[in-house]
Amino acid sequence: MNEAYFLSILVFSPLLGIIILALLPKNSETLIKFIGFLATVPTLVLSLIAFFQYRGGADLNRYDVKADWIHFGDFAEMGLFKIDYELGLNGLSLVLIVLTAIVSSLAAIASVHIKSEWKGYFMLFLLLEIGMLGVFAAENLILFFIFFEITMIPMFFLIGKWGYFEKEKAAYSYLIYNGLGSAVLLIVIVILFARAGTSNIEALAQLMAVENPNTPAPISESLKFGLLISLLIAFGVKLPIFPLHTWMLRVHVQAPPSIVMIHSGILLKIGAFGLIRFGMGIFPEQFQSLAGLLAVLGVINLLYGAFLAWIQKDFKMVLAYSSISHMGIVLIGLGAMNEAGIQGAIFQVVSHGLISALLFFLVGIFYERFHTSTISSLGGMAKGMPITAGFLLAGALASLGLPGMSGFVSEFMAFLGLFGEMPVLAAIGCIGIIMTAVYLLRAVLGMTYGKAHREFAGITDMKSVEYVPVLVLTALIVLIGVYPSVLSETLQATLETIMLGLGG
Amino acid sequence: MSSVPISAYLTLALILFCIGLYGALTKRNMVIVLISIELMLNSVNINLVAFSKFGMVPSITGQVFSLFTIAIAAAEAAVGLAILIALYRNRKTVNIDEMNTMKH
Amino acid sequence: MENAWIIPLFPLLSFLFLLLFGKRLKETSAYIGMLFTLLSFIYSLVVLFDRFSNPTYKAEATWLTIGDVQLTAGFEINQLNALMLVIVSLVSFLVHTYSKGYMHGDDRFHVFYAYLGLFTFAMLGLVISPNLLQTYIFWELVGAGSFLLIGFYFYKEEAKAAAKKAFIMTRIGDVGLLIGMILLFWQVGSFEYDEIFQAVEAGSVSAGMVTLTAILIFVGAVGKSGQFPLHTWLPDAMEGPTPVSALIHAATMVAAGVYLVAALFPLFTASETALMVVAIIGAVTAIFAASIGLVQKDIKRVLAYSTVSQLGYMMLALGSAGYVAGVFHLMTHAFFKALLFLAAGSVIHAVHTQNIEEMGGLWKKLRITGPLFLIGTLAISGVPLFSGFFSKDEILIAAWAHGNTVLFWLAVIAAFFTAFYMFRLFFMVFSGNARSEMKNVHESPSVMTFPMIVLGILAVVAGYVNTPWFGTFLGDWLVDGNEALGHGHIEGPAWIMIVATVVSLLGIFLAWMMYGKRSISRDWLSSRMPIVYGILYNKYYIDEFYQLSVVNATKFFSYLFHYIEKFLVEGIVKGITGVVQGLGRIGSKIQSGQIQGYGAMAFVGLALLLVIFAITGGYLK
Repeated sequence: MNEAYFLSILVFSPLLGIIILALLPKNSETLIKFIGFLATVPTLVLSLIAFFQYRGGADLNRYDVKADWIHFGDFAEMGLFKIDYELGLNGLSLVLIVLTAIVSSLAAIASVHIKSEWKGYFMLFLLLEIGMLGVFAAENLILFFIFFEITMIPMFFLIGKWGYFEKEKAAYSYLIYNGLGSAVLLIVIVILFARAGTSNIEALAQLMAVENPNTPAPISESLKFGLLISLLIAFGVKLPIFPLHTWMLRVHVQAPPSIVMIHSGILLKIGAFGLIRFGMGIFPEQFQSLAGLLAVLGVINLLYGAFLAWIQKDFKMVLAYSSISHMGIVLIGLGAMNEAGIQGAIFQVVSHGLISALLFFLVGIFYERFHTSTISSLGGMAKGMPITAGFLLAGALASLGLPGMSGFVSEFMAFLGLFGEMPVLAAIGCIGIIMTAVYLLRAVLGMTYGKAHREFAGITDMKSVEYVPVLVLTALIVLIGVYPSVLSETLQATLETIMLGLGG
Repeated sequence: MSSVPISAYLTLALILFCIGLYGALTKRNMVIVLISIELMLNSVNINLVAFSKFGMVPSITGQVFSLFTIAIAAAEAAVGLAILIALYRNRKTVNIDEMNTMKH
Repeated sequence: MENAWIIPLFPLLSFLFLLLFGKRLKETSAYIGMLFTLLSFIYSLVVLFDRFSNPTYKAEATWLTIGDVQLTAGFEINQLNALMLVIVSLVSFLVHTYSKGYMHGDDRFHVFYAYLGLFTFAMLGLVISPNLLQTYIFWELVGAGSFLLIGFYFYKEEAKAAAKKAFIMTRIGDVGLLIGMILLFWQVGSFEYDEIFQAVEAGSVSAGMVTLTAILIFVGAVGKSGQFPLHTWLPDAMEGPTPVSALIHAATMVAAGVYLVAALFPLFTASETALMVVAIIGAVTAIFAASIGLVQKDIKRVLAYSTVSQLGYMMLALGSAGYVAGVFHLMTHAFFKALLFLAAGSVIHAVHTQNIEEMGGLWKKLRITGPLFLIGTLAISGVPLFSGFFSKDEILIAAWAHGNTVLFWLAVIAAFFTAFYMFRLFFMVFSGNARSEMKNVHESPSVMTFPMIVLGILAVVAGYVNTPWFGTFLGDWLVDGNEALGHGHIEGPAWIMIVATVVSLLGIFLAWMMYGKRSISRDWLSSRMPIVYGILYNKYYIDEFYQLSVVNATKFFSYLFHYIEKFLVEGIVKGITGVVQGLGRIGSKIQSGQIQGYGAMAFVGLALLLVIFAITGGYLK
């Protein structure tokens, strides 16, 4: 395969699925589901090829694609004000693309539980996947923004149409918050583009690193700071950072589990990715002055989510607040601003992606059977569905940071980082580690252990197709937990670049 | 002939325009409103002609343009009256306050 | 020794194998588990004997790179580790064997063996860890194994609560360990034990930091070893199957706290304050738990409190710089307490109750269990010639020699209590008349009695490896070549041994008077001092206190956040949407459909623009 097209094919291959689906009759359910799943496979294969080639020592630059796209006036000859179609990979985006590909394929399997309108569902689903892949592969801000928006619209319909009782409200809530976030992001991008004359991320990073860069319009220090704050808000909505999180609770509860797998597993991670790639990458100096704020926000997220998760009655709400809490660890790691912290944050991004995908897949399994996710009404599930209950417990243990699973490595590194910089704050954050165990065990044991609260006769445990995602995700979680180098070595080059930008 | 200063033409145009504007915004009868709009158009014509004579670069263009405007105004008045008659046939009224179907 | 890393892997294999194929194997699973743990045990013995003649062996490989720092994983075979390997693998093997009989007929037989394998893996991995990080990893994993096994009877509400409590209480301790460990890392730049000790010795870590980290790490040990005030989970953990109590909550995991303090002994000795904290917590726990044990009615709970108390003893020993005494007692305790639990399991297996008031007269029915239980009771009471006597003696001498006089006398009183409640237990279960409903009581099968016999022999002879009479082999070997661990055997005044003996014999005598001969009423305490009895019976109301303070405080915060979320966060959101909606309403009112209104609006807009233009000077300025 020609490497020049490699990345474009990787990103746009789900499009083929969309086209095929468009030609299929509306009610051939099995076929649609099968094609829908199949369409995610090329991306998965290609991303794994790229991953293993990189692990084998290949250079990531060879996947870079660049083509002329949009010019403004006569500036193009000076190399200014032109927007290229440029995709590329670095260690971080490669890892996230692999994560996206895996979670998307598994979520496509999880979509067997979708009850109606399969055709529209899968078309939107695949469009969503293109958006996510593009977000991570985009090399310039405008392209990033376009893909960013592509993720938003399918998501709106997926929540609003295939969700549960209050799906419309959740969808609008999602749209409004993220729309505002996007608007802020767009302002930042436009200002940067207008003043710097380029939207290429690396070029911008280089421009910002110089004292008085030669740009069409000056970019003052205070402007940089303002732009960074705006970025923090834009990605803070996505991550989400307290108090911008309420939309995400509704989405977690109302969207179908397969979509929440994607949402919690990947879409939230775009926030972290953006903060690392643009915040740290383009404004490293200003970012450093925000370190304390980020760490404090992280601890607030961690504790706030954990305490609230403890009193929820619905397991989905527990997981929603748990996501807020776990994203706090990402912020803690970023706030630490040292290798351990940033590496911990990225690990947490991946780890939480896998764990929450696993947990929501399991939610899908028992929601399908019992039509409820209220903790008290599910008590004693281990009796009737021992395998589901066992994996649920394993997922909870992974989520609360049991060593040997991925959650521990990330949590440990993030705290290791923060203790190096702000020990007191980190010690307060450690309450969160205890609370995580408290709320997760309360919820999961409440559902699986104890006296059986309902009749389990006639309820089948996991079916064959349902084993695939669960086993794959569990295996990955354990793999990262036992052998974290599989990730850290991939990330090394990117981390070094970031640390270089941060000045040491 | 040149004793009449440009300010006189402009003042006349202004007065005409204001009368027209007042009529267009306040009158209830649509026929009056149309007539008021014609007044405003003609005040602009006066301006055009005045500037073609007293402007910074006097030329014939202004007068040509005012001829164009008159032609367009005639067409517009014709179309406007046609719409008005159609509306009158439908509604049996020319009261502008009742013409708010565009809101819906 | 180079291949010692394989020791923990055997049980891991057993775990994985049983997880995948256990369902088909059913009760054959027991043989898989037994085989793998036997392999571990044999190899541990080989390693132990190897260690007698060879120096400490350590091998490591990079596990994770953070910037320039390489975190390693590996294993280290020093004296303590080699000894622990043998203790853990032996007890684990015996418990695997015993469970074959005890768990017979359970639906989830294979799951039980799988969990046992997981736990044994973690515990063996813990005791050969060469650095704090790896220790922490296995430390948490043993906690998870313990959690799974306590909650094995998952359909019982009590088991669920106990499992949750065990995990959370130990987790609180673990966070202490985590913080201590990370703080040490930033001081030393490494998690390696060697490097930490070197740095502490060289004085490159400030004295305050040494004390702080040592105490934080000790918090971890407090959680795991059930020391006051984090002890409440251990008695509740008795909800698990009895073999589990023997393995985890008597012999191995709860001793991990003691092991941790022993493994980091040079860090603790560098700070007098930290040592003092360890000693005080140990002594307080010893007497505190022993006093609760006096009045409990559940056979396993009595043993659980005695475990807590004995672990307190070990902590007292370590806190009094008695490294050998602590480790020695850890070893003897592992044997006799495992024996006691297995014997108690055998009793429960026979009579199907755990309430000692419903038992009695079992001596004649359980001809093997009875004498074995007696051996264990004698050993724990510190009766001369049994293993517990020698190790307890070492501890008392260490406490006295270190100058902890008050703590020494506390320990003596605790020894008296121990002898009393253990014989109270023994007399109530085995002496007197058999109850009528206990007709069909049978001795357990040989697969259960065999492990007890092995442990019974060890409970007698294990003490002779380190006695003031026949040589202090164990002590000399343990501290060989390592100055930091102090002296092997500490010489103490002879009267201490006499006091200890007299005290334990007194306790036994009193128990015999009350429960054997019954010349003193059983209700002596509850009738004379109902308040004291109530406090003891309700375990000093610690659980209730935690419920009132910690749990309610957490609830307070949770609901506080809940209302913040509901009113403040959602309120702000509602406010913003309200403003937007209001603006929209005003806007839509302007859209009246009146063409003249629009015209007026356009005119006003134009006029405004012109005015602004005129004032600012316009675009061209």
